[in-house]
Amino acid sequence: MDVKKVITVINQMQADGVIERYAVGGAVGATFYLEPIATLDVDIFVTFESAPGSLIASPQRIYDYLTARGGTIEREYIVIAGWPVQFLPPTGLLVAEALQESVVKDVDGTPACVLTAEHLAALALQTGRAKDKARLLQFVESGVLDAVRFQAILARHGLLEAWQKFERQFLHDPP
Amino acid sequence: MSFDWQKILESKRALRRDLAARPIGEKLRLLDALRERELAIRGRAVHPRSSVLREEPPPYRTKTK
Repeated sequence: MDVKKVITVINQMQADGVIERYAVGGAVGATFYLEPIATLDVDIFVTFESAPGSLIASPQRIYDYLTARGGTIEREYIVIAGWPVQFLPPTGLLVAEALQESVVKDVDGTPACVLTAEHLAALALQTGRAKDKARLLQFVESGVLDAVRFQAILARHGLLEAWQKFERQFLHDPP
Repeated sequence: MSFDWQKILESKRALRRDLAARPIGEKLRLLDALRERELAIRGRAVHPRSSVLREEPPPYRTKTK
């Protein structure tokens, strides 16, 4: 079980032209900015070209590439280095922007493309499950968010109302 | 060791800050260890799934505004 190996494999897949751009998201992405957050899988946001003659982007090339190198498919995941990895195409404008503005971090000499803290926090707010709210609170409490940048993302993607609700729920002292 | 609640909270915050500040390579190795531990714990769970309250909507929304 080696999440760094997962990143190495995905870097190689990118170098081989199977995917265009990728970025680590979810709990693993958040761990680049916060304390380690226990998780069972790795979320990789990814863009890839459509197959020739098709308008629909398909992850088939990713699956073919990885299974040829020892990966195994389990439901919607492909298991690499002991970790179930889920490849997520940009299904909305926020994810597309997050992927476009992802940053490269160094993991003991291995480059890793990761979503920014502000985009991870905005995605947590948009997704809105209990665990996402807990993660958003961790981002806020840790002080790693650039407030101006975060607010701009919220404004661009219609999340200001959700943020105000979150603030009322979790960040304001009760009367 | 202290039973002062404020000191306990501050100690927890300090531990989180310390963990967050560690090199990313070390934090990823901790993730590996945490996942192994969680899988071991889940493997021992005996409660039937039908009695468990779960919140699992799709992880990322497709709707945009």
